[in-house]
Amino acid sequence: MIIEKFKHKMAAHCESGTITSLINHAGLRISEPLVFGISSGLFFGYFHKMKSFPFPTFIVRNKPGQMRVNITKRLGVKFNEYSFHNIDDGTRKLDELLQKNIPTAAQVDFFYLDYVPSWERVHINVHFMVILGKEDSNYIISDSYFPELIKLKSTSLENSRFAGGNMSPKGFIFNVSYIPTTIDYEDAIIKGIKKVCFNMLHIPMPFLGVKGIRMFAKKIVEWPDLARDTEHLSHEIMKINILLEDQGTGGAGFRFIYATFLQEAADILGKPELKYLSVELMKIGDGWRELSLFAAKAGKNRDLGPGKLKELSGLIYDRADAEEKFFTKLGNAVKRS
Amino acid sequence: MVNVPSEELKTEIKILIIKTLGISDIVPSDVDDEKPLFGGGNKLTLDSVDALEIIMALQRNYSVRIADQNLARNIVRSINSIAEFISSEQHKSNG
Repeated sequence: MIIEKFKHKMAAHCESGTITSLINHAGLRISEPLVFGISSGLFFGYFHKMKSFPFPTFIVRNKPGQMRVNITKRLGVKFNEYSFHNIDDGTRKLDELLQKNIPTAAQVDFFYLDYVPSWERVHINVHFMVILGKEDSNYIISDSYFPELIKLKSTSLENSRFAGGNMSPKGFIFNVSYIPTTIDYEDAIIKGIKKVCFNMLHIPMPFLGVKGIRMFAKKIVEWPDLARDTEHLSHEIMKINILLEDQGTGGAGFRFIYATFLQEAADILGKPELKYLSVELMKIGDGWRELSLFAAKAGKNRDLGPGKLKELSGLIYDRADAEEKFFTKLGNAVKRS
Repeated sequence: MVNVPSEELKTEIKILIIKTLGISDIVPSDVDDEKPLFGGGNKLTLDSVDALEIIMALQRNYSVRIADQNLARNIVRSINSIAEFISSEQHKSNG
Protein backbone atom coordinates (compact mmCIF):
# COMPACT_ATOMS: atom_id res chain seq x y z
CA MET A 1 0.00 0.00 0.00
CA ILE A 2 1.39 3.38 -1.02
CA ILE A 3 -0.09 6.86 -1.35
CA GLU A 4 0.26 7.22 -5.12
CA LYS A 5 -0.77 10.87 -5.43
CA PHE A 6 2.12 12.15 -3.32
CA LYS A 7 4.77 13.93 -5.40
CA HIS A 8 8.28 13.18 -4.20
CA LYS A 9 10.70 16.07 -4.63
CA MET A 10 14.26 16.70 -3.57
CA ALA A 11 14.73 19.67 -1.28
CA ALA A 12 17.54 21.85 0.01
CA HIS A 13 16.73 21.10 3.65
CA CYS A 14 14.95 18.15 5.22
CA GLU A 15 12.61 20.03 7.56
CA SER A 16 11.49 22.79 5.18
CA GLY A 17 11.38 20.21 2.35
CA THR A 18 9.19 17.85 4.37
CA ILE A 19 6.80 20.59 5.45
CA THR A 20 6.60 21.87 1.86
CA SER A 21 5.83 18.40 0.46
CA LEU A 22 3.06 17.80 3.00
CA ILE A 23 1.50 21.22 2.42
CA ASN A 24 1.68 20.78 -1.37
CA HIS A 25 0.04 17.37 -1.06
CA ALA A 26 -2.74 18.94 1.00
CA GLY A 27 -3.45 21.29 -1.91
CA LEU A 28 -1.53 24.49 -1.16
CA ARG A 29 1.13 25.31 -3.77
CA ILE A 30 4.11 26.87 -2.05
CA SER A 31 7.86 26.63 -2.65
CA GLU A 32 10.44 25.40 -0.16
CA PRO A 33 12.28 28.77 -0.03
CA LEU A 34 8.96 30.50 0.83
CA VAL A 35 8.32 28.00 3.62
CA PHE A 36 11.88 28.54 4.88
CA GLY A 37 11.64 32.35 4.74
CA ILE A 38 8.13 32.69 6.18
CA SER A 39 9.12 30.41 9.04
CA SER A 40 12.23 32.56 9.75
CA GLY A 41 14.50 29.56 9.27
CA LEU A 42 17.75 31.52 9.03
CA PHE A 43 19.74 32.08 12.20
CA PHE A 44 23.16 31.91 13.81
CA GLY A 45 24.15 30.74 17.26
CA TYR A 46 27.58 29.90 18.70
CA PHE A 47 27.85 27.61 21.71
CA HIS A 48 31.26 27.68 23.31
CA LYS A 49 30.43 25.75 26.45
CA MET A 50 27.23 23.78 26.80
CA LYS A 51 26.37 20.62 28.65
CA SER A 52 24.89 18.94 25.59
CA PHE A 53 27.85 19.70 23.31
CA PRO A 54 31.25 18.19 24.20
CA PHE A 55 33.05 20.77 22.02
CA PRO A 56 32.13 24.29 20.82
CA THR A 57 29.70 24.27 17.94
CA PHE A 58 27.34 26.55 16.05
CA ILE A 59 23.92 26.48 14.41
CA VAL A 60 22.82 28.25 11.25
CA ARG A 61 19.03 27.82 11.46
CA ASN A 62 16.24 28.14 13.99
CA LYS A 63 15.60 25.24 16.33
CA PRO A 64 14.14 22.00 14.91
CA GLY A 65 10.33 22.08 14.93
CA GLN A 66 10.17 25.88 15.02
CA MET A 67 9.52 26.09 11.27
CA ARG A 68 6.29 24.15 11.71
CA VAL A 69 5.24 26.39 14.60
CA ASN A 70 5.95 29.55 12.59
CA ILE A 71 4.13 28.23 9.52
CA THR A 72 1.04 27.63 11.66
CA LYS A 73 1.34 31.10 13.18
CA ARG A 74 1.87 32.95 9.89
CA LEU A 75 0.04 30.93 7.23
CA GLY A 76 -2.67 29.33 9.36
CA VAL A 77 -1.73 25.81 8.20
CA LYS A 78 -2.31 23.35 11.06
CA PHE A 79 -0.67 20.03 11.81
CA ASN A 80 -1.61 16.91 13.79
CA GLU A 81 1.35 15.96 15.96
CA TYR A 82 1.97 12.71 17.86
CA SER A 83 4.76 11.59 20.22
CA PHE A 84 5.07 8.19 21.88
CA HIS A 85 6.74 6.52 24.84
CA ASN A 86 6.01 3.08 23.49
CA ILE A 87 7.37 1.76 20.16
CA ASP A 88 4.30 -0.45 19.47
CA ASP A 89 1.94 2.49 19.97
CA GLY A 90 4.09 4.62 17.65
CA THR A 91 4.12 1.94 14.94
CA ARG A 92 0.39 1.26 15.27
CA LYS A 93 -0.51 4.95 14.90
CA LEU A 94 1.76 5.40 11.87
CA ASP A 95 0.26 2.31 10.15
CA GLU A 96 -3.25 3.53 10.93
CA LEU A 97 -2.53 6.93 9.29
CA LEU A 98 -1.00 5.27 6.23
CA GLN A 99 -4.05 2.99 5.95
CA LYS A 100 -6.12 6.18 5.75
CA ASN A 101 -3.87 7.45 2.92
CA ILE A 102 -2.43 10.26 5.02
CA PRO A 103 1.23 11.00 4.18
CA THR A 104 2.95 11.41 7.52
CA ALA A 105 6.27 13.04 8.37
CA ALA A 106 8.61 11.57 10.96
CA GLN A 107 11.52 12.90 12.96
CA VAL A 108 14.32 10.32 12.88
CA ASP A 109 17.94 9.63 13.71
CA PHE A 110 19.80 9.76 10.38
CA PHE A 111 22.20 7.02 11.52
CA TYR A 112 19.64 4.18 11.23
CA LEU A 113 18.53 4.96 7.68
CA ASP A 114 20.05 1.97 5.93
CA TYR A 115 19.56 3.48 2.47
CA VAL A 116 22.19 6.12 3.32
CA PRO A 117 25.77 5.02 2.45
CA SER A 118 27.49 3.87 5.65
CA TRP A 119 30.23 6.52 5.41
CA GLU A 120 27.62 9.29 5.44
CA ARG A 121 25.62 8.03 8.41
CA VAL A 122 25.93 10.07 11.57
CA HIS A 123 23.74 10.36 14.66
CA ILE A 124 21.52 13.36 14.01
CA ASN A 125 18.19 13.06 15.80
CA VAL A 126 16.51 15.82 13.84
CA HIS A 127 16.26 14.47 10.32
CA PHE A 128 12.77 14.70 8.79
CA MET A 129 11.14 12.64 6.05
CA VAL A 130 7.69 11.65 4.79
CA ILE A 131 6.37 8.10 5.06
CA LEU A 132 4.05 7.13 2.23
CA GLY A 133 3.18 3.51 2.69
CA LYS A 134 4.10 0.03 3.77
CA GLU A 135 4.90 -3.03 1.66
CA ASP A 136 5.54 -6.25 3.61
CA SER A 137 8.18 -5.33 6.18
CA ASN A 138 9.31 -2.16 4.40
CA TYR A 139 8.08 1.40 4.62
CA ILE A 140 8.06 3.61 1.51
CA ILE A 141 9.92 6.80 2.26
CA SER A 142 10.10 10.19 0.58
CA ASP A 143 13.42 11.54 1.85
CA SER A 144 14.08 14.94 0.29
CA TYR A 145 17.84 14.29 0.20
CA PHE A 146 17.35 11.50 -2.33
CA PRO A 147 16.13 11.65 -5.94
CA GLU A 148 13.71 8.68 -5.75
CA LEU A 149 11.31 7.08 -3.26
CA ILE A 150 13.13 4.64 -1.01
CA LYS A 151 12.28 1.48 0.93
CA LEU A 152 13.27 1.27 4.58
CA LYS A 153 13.01 -1.84 6.76
CA SER A 154 10.41 -1.43 9.49
CA THR A 155 13.01 -2.32 12.14
CA SER A 156 15.30 0.44 10.83
CA LEU A 157 12.45 2.94 10.90
CA GLU A 158 11.63 1.92 14.48
CA ASN A 159 15.27 2.34 15.51
CA SER A 160 15.47 5.74 13.90
CA ARG A 161 12.14 6.98 15.33
CA PHE A 162 12.96 5.80 18.83
CA ALA A 163 16.69 6.54 18.99
CA GLY A 164 17.99 7.86 22.28
CA GLY A 165 20.30 10.77 23.00
CA ASN A 166 20.10 14.53 22.66
CA MET A 167 16.81 15.70 21.06
CA SER A 168 15.60 12.10 20.76
CA PRO A 169 12.60 11.91 18.38
CA LYS A 170 10.30 9.89 20.72
CA GLY A 171 8.53 8.51 17.67
CA PHE A 172 7.39 12.00 16.68
CA ILE A 173 5.20 12.12 13.57
CA PHE A 174 3.03 14.83 12.07
CA ASN A 175 0.75 15.54 9.13
CA VAL A 176 -1.34 18.41 7.81
CA SER A 177 -4.76 18.77 9.42
CA TYR A 178 -5.95 22.08 7.98
CA ILE A 179 -5.22 24.38 5.05
CA PRO A 180 -6.90 27.80 5.24
CA THR A 181 -8.96 28.97 2.30
CA THR A 182 -7.29 32.39 2.15
CA ILE A 183 -3.72 33.29 3.06
CA ASP A 184 -2.18 36.72 3.46
CA TYR A 185 1.25 35.96 1.98
CA GLU A 186 2.42 39.57 2.18
CA ASP A 187 1.81 39.74 5.92
CA ALA A 188 3.39 36.30 6.46
CA ILE A 189 6.52 37.23 4.49
CA ILE A 190 6.96 40.58 6.27
CA LYS A 191 6.57 38.95 9.68
CA GLY A 192 9.03 36.20 8.70
CA ILE A 193 11.63 38.74 7.55
CA LYS A 194 11.20 41.00 10.61
CA LYS A 195 11.72 38.06 12.96
CA VAL A 196 14.93 37.00 11.17
CA CYS A 197 16.26 40.57 11.31
CA PHE A 198 15.45 40.74 15.02
CA ASN A 199 17.13 37.39 15.66
CA MET A 200 20.25 38.35 13.74
CA LEU A 201 20.64 41.91 15.04
CA HIS A 202 18.80 42.54 18.27
CA ILE A 203 18.38 39.34 20.23
CA PRO A 204 19.94 40.22 23.61
CA MET A 205 22.35 37.28 23.92
CA PRO A 206 26.06 37.58 23.10
CA PHE A 207 26.18 34.18 21.40
CA LEU A 208 23.22 34.62 19.03
CA GLY A 209 22.83 36.39 15.69
CA VAL A 210 25.62 38.62 14.37
CA LYS A 211 27.01 38.89 17.92
CA GLY A 212 27.23 35.09 17.88
CA ILE A 213 29.21 35.15 14.62
CA ARG A 214 31.65 37.59 16.26
CA MET A 215 31.92 35.37 19.34
CA PHE A 216 32.67 32.43 17.02
CA ALA A 217 35.41 34.48 15.33
CA LYS A 218 36.90 35.48 18.68
CA LYS A 219 36.75 32.05 20.31
CA ILE A 220 37.95 29.85 17.45
CA VAL A 221 41.58 30.73 18.18
CA GLU A 222 41.04 29.12 21.63
CA TRP A 223 39.90 25.80 20.16
CA PRO A 224 43.41 24.21 20.34
CA ASP A 225 43.25 24.59 24.16
CA LEU A 226 39.98 22.63 24.22
CA ALA A 227 40.94 19.83 21.82
CA ARG A 228 42.49 16.56 23.01
CA ASP A 229 45.13 16.58 20.28
CA THR A 230 45.74 17.67 16.68
CA GLU A 231 43.54 14.88 15.30
CA HIS A 232 40.63 16.02 17.43
CA LEU A 233 41.19 19.67 16.53
CA SER A 234 41.37 18.93 12.81
CA HIS A 235 38.15 16.91 13.07
CA GLU A 236 36.37 19.81 14.79
CA ILE A 237 37.69 22.36 12.29
CA MET A 238 36.52 20.19 9.39
CA LYS A 239 33.10 20.00 11.03
CA ILE A 240 32.70 23.71 10.22
CA ASN A 241 32.41 22.66 6.59
CA ILE A 242 29.93 19.90 7.45
CA LEU A 243 27.72 22.27 9.46
CA LEU A 244 27.78 24.92 6.74
CA GLU A 245 27.52 22.77 3.64
CA ASP A 246 26.79 19.13 4.29
CA GLN A 247 23.84 18.87 6.64
CA GLY A 248 21.02 19.89 4.33
CA THR A 249 21.71 23.56 4.74
CA GLY A 250 20.67 24.58 1.26
CA GLY A 251 24.25 25.82 0.81
CA ALA A 252 26.45 28.22 2.75
CA GLY A 253 24.63 27.73 6.03
CA PHE A 254 21.13 28.37 4.60
CA ARG A 255 22.20 31.74 3.14
CA PHE A 256 21.52 30.56 -0.45
CA ILE A 257 18.02 29.25 0.24
CA TYR A 258 17.17 32.48 2.09
CA ALA A 259 18.44 34.47 -0.91
CA THR A 260 16.06 32.47 -3.14
CA PHE A 261 13.25 33.27 -0.69
CA LEU A 262 14.02 36.99 -1.01
CA GLN A 263 13.75 36.76 -4.81
CA GLU A 264 10.26 35.24 -4.51
CA ALA A 265 9.34 37.71 -1.77
CA ALA A 266 10.36 40.65 -4.02
CA ASP A 267 7.75 39.60 -6.60
CA ILE A 268 4.99 38.92 -4.09
CA LEU A 269 5.54 42.18 -2.17
CA GLY A 270 6.35 44.25 -5.26
CA LYS A 271 9.61 45.33 -3.63
CA PRO A 272 12.44 45.16 -6.20
CA GLU A 273 14.97 46.17 -3.53
CA LEU A 274 14.62 42.65 -2.09
CA LYS A 275 16.03 41.31 -5.38
CA TYR A 276 19.18 43.39 -4.89
CA LEU A 277 19.39 42.15 -1.32
CA SER A 278 19.01 38.59 -2.58
CA VAL A 279 22.06 39.08 -4.82
CA GLU A 280 23.95 40.58 -1.87
CA LEU A 281 23.09 37.59 0.30
CA MET A 282 24.25 35.20 -2.44
CA LYS A 283 27.62 36.99 -2.31
CA ILE A 284 27.66 36.74 1.49
CA GLY A 285 26.91 33.02 1.05
CA ASP A 286 29.87 32.71 -1.34
CA GLY A 287 32.01 34.13 1.49
CA TRP A 288 30.67 31.50 3.91
CA ARG A 289 31.47 28.84 1.33
CA GLU A 290 35.05 30.17 0.92
CA LEU A 291 35.39 30.05 4.71
CA SER A 292 33.98 26.55 4.74
CA LEU A 293 36.52 25.34 2.18
CA PHE A 294 39.34 27.13 4.03
CA ALA A 295 38.40 25.28 7.24
CA ALA A 296 37.98 21.93 5.49
CA LYS A 297 41.38 22.17 3.81
CA ALA A 298 43.14 23.36 6.97
CA GLY A 299 41.62 20.44 8.88
CA LYS A 300 42.35 17.89 6.17
CA ASN A 301 45.98 19.00 5.86
CA ARG A 302 46.36 19.28 9.68
CA ASP A 303 47.47 22.84 9.01
CA LEU A 304 46.18 24.34 12.25
CA GLY A 305 48.85 26.63 13.61
CA PRO A 306 47.94 29.93 15.33
CA GLY A 307 48.42 31.86 12.08
CA LYS A 308 45.93 29.66 10.22
CA LEU A 309 43.30 29.92 12.95
CA LYS A 310 43.78 33.67 13.10
CA GLU A 311 43.19 33.80 9.35
CA LEU A 312 40.04 31.69 9.77
CA SER A 313 38.92 33.98 12.58
CA GLY A 314 39.36 36.97 10.24
CA LEU A 315 37.15 35.32 7.61
CA ILE A 316 34.44 34.78 10.24
CA TYR A 317 34.68 38.43 11.40
CA ASP A 318 34.20 39.45 7.76
CA ARG A 319 30.96 37.41 7.62
CA ALA A 320 29.73 39.12 10.80
CA ASP A 321 30.39 42.58 9.34
CA ALA A 322 28.73 41.66 6.03
CA GLU A 323 25.65 40.17 7.74
CA GLU A 324 25.28 43.11 10.12
CA LYS A 325 25.08 45.47 7.14
CA PHE A 326 22.85 43.11 5.21
CA PHE A 327 20.24 42.53 7.92
CA THR A 328 20.14 46.24 8.75
CA LYS A 329 19.28 46.95 5.10
CA LEU A 330 16.77 44.07 5.00
CA GLY A 331 15.09 45.33 8.18
CA ASN A 332 14.84 48.83 6.69
CA ALA A 333 13.37 47.44 3.47
CA VAL A 334 10.36 46.00 5.33
CA LYS A 335 10.21 48.53 8.18
CA ARG A 336 7.11 50.44 7.15
CA SER A 337 5.31 47.43 5.73
CA MET B 1 15.20 18.05 -25.41
CA VAL B 2 18.16 16.27 -23.82
CA ASN B 3 21.46 18.08 -23.93
CA VAL B 4 24.33 15.85 -24.92
CA PRO B 5 27.58 17.33 -23.64
CA SER B 6 30.50 17.40 -26.04
CA GLU B 7 33.72 15.43 -25.58
CA GLU B 8 35.56 18.78 -25.52
CA LEU B 9 33.52 19.91 -22.54
CA LYS B 10 34.24 16.67 -20.68
CA THR B 11 37.97 17.03 -21.29
CA GLU B 12 37.83 20.68 -20.23
CA ILE B 13 36.12 19.63 -16.97
CA LYS B 14 38.73 16.94 -16.31
CA ILE B 15 41.52 19.48 -16.84
CA LEU B 16 39.77 21.92 -14.52
CA ILE B 17 39.44 19.28 -11.78
CA ILE B 18 43.04 18.12 -12.10
CA LYS B 19 44.28 21.72 -12.03
CA THR B 20 42.03 22.77 -9.14
CA LEU B 21 43.10 19.85 -6.97
CA GLY B 22 46.75 20.14 -7.98
CA ILE B 23 46.96 16.50 -9.09
CA SER B 24 50.19 15.71 -10.90
CA ASP B 25 50.01 11.97 -11.58
CA ILE B 26 46.73 11.81 -13.54
CA VAL B 27 45.99 13.06 -17.07
CA PRO B 28 42.49 13.66 -18.49
CA SER B 29 42.50 10.42 -20.50
CA ASP B 30 43.00 8.43 -17.26
CA VAL B 31 39.65 9.60 -15.92
CA ASP B 32 36.58 7.55 -16.78
CA ASP B 33 33.52 9.61 -17.81
CA GLU B 34 30.87 7.42 -16.18
CA LYS B 35 32.52 5.78 -13.16
CA PRO B 36 31.79 7.51 -9.85
CA LEU B 37 34.30 10.08 -8.63
CA PHE B 38 33.57 9.10 -5.00
CA GLY B 39 34.09 5.84 -3.16
CA GLY B 40 36.72 4.41 -5.53
CA GLY B 41 36.30 2.80 -8.96
CA ASN B 42 37.66 5.72 -10.93
CA LYS B 43 41.33 6.61 -11.21
CA LEU B 44 40.36 10.04 -9.95
CA THR B 45 38.88 9.51 -6.48
CA LEU B 46 37.55 12.47 -4.54
CA ASP B 47 36.47 13.26 -1.00
CA SER B 48 33.91 15.79 0.20
CA VAL B 49 36.48 18.58 0.56
CA ASP B 50 37.57 18.03 -3.05
CA ALA B 51 33.91 18.12 -4.06
CA LEU B 52 33.41 21.53 -2.49
CA GLU B 53 36.56 22.83 -4.19
CA ILE B 54 35.33 21.51 -7.54
CA ILE B 55 31.90 23.06 -7.07
CA MET B 56 33.50 26.43 -6.43
CA ALA B 57 35.79 26.03 -9.46
CA LEU B 58 32.80 25.10 -11.67
CA GLN B 59 30.90 28.15 -10.38
CA ARG B 60 33.82 30.44 -11.16
CA ASN B 61 34.70 28.91 -14.50
CA TYR B 62 31.22 28.49 -15.99
CA SER B 63 29.32 31.25 -14.14
CA VAL B 64 26.82 28.75 -12.74
CA ARG B 65 25.51 28.48 -9.20
CA ILE B 66 25.31 25.18 -7.37
CA ALA B 67 23.79 26.28 -4.09
CA ASP B 68 22.20 23.17 -2.74
CA GLN B 69 24.48 20.42 -1.44
CA ASN B 70 22.03 17.63 -2.34
CA LEU B 71 22.00 18.85 -5.91
CA ALA B 72 25.78 19.31 -5.77
CA ARG B 73 26.23 15.70 -4.66
CA ASN B 74 24.33 14.50 -7.73
CA ILE B 75 26.17 16.85 -10.06
CA VAL B 76 29.71 15.88 -9.03
CA ARG B 77 28.89 12.16 -9.08
CA SER B 78 30.81 11.61 -12.36
CA ILE B 79 32.38 13.51 -15.24
CA ASN B 80 29.25 12.82 -17.32
CA SER B 81 26.92 14.23 -14.66
CA ILE B 82 29.04 17.38 -14.31
CA ALA B 83 29.17 17.82 -18.08
CA GLU B 84 25.40 17.30 -18.41
CA PHE B 85 24.75 19.96 -15.76
CA ILE B 86 27.13 22.51 -17.31
CA SER B 87 25.81 21.82 -20.77
CA SER B 88 22.19 22.27 -19.69
CA GLU B 89 23.01 25.50 -17.81
CA GLN B 90 24.81 26.84 -20.90
CA HIS B 91 21.84 25.84 -23.04
CA LYS B 92 19.49 27.69 -20.63
CA SER B 93 21.53 30.88 -20.70
CA ASN B 94 21.88 30.74 -24.51
CA GLY B 95 18.26 29.86 -25.10
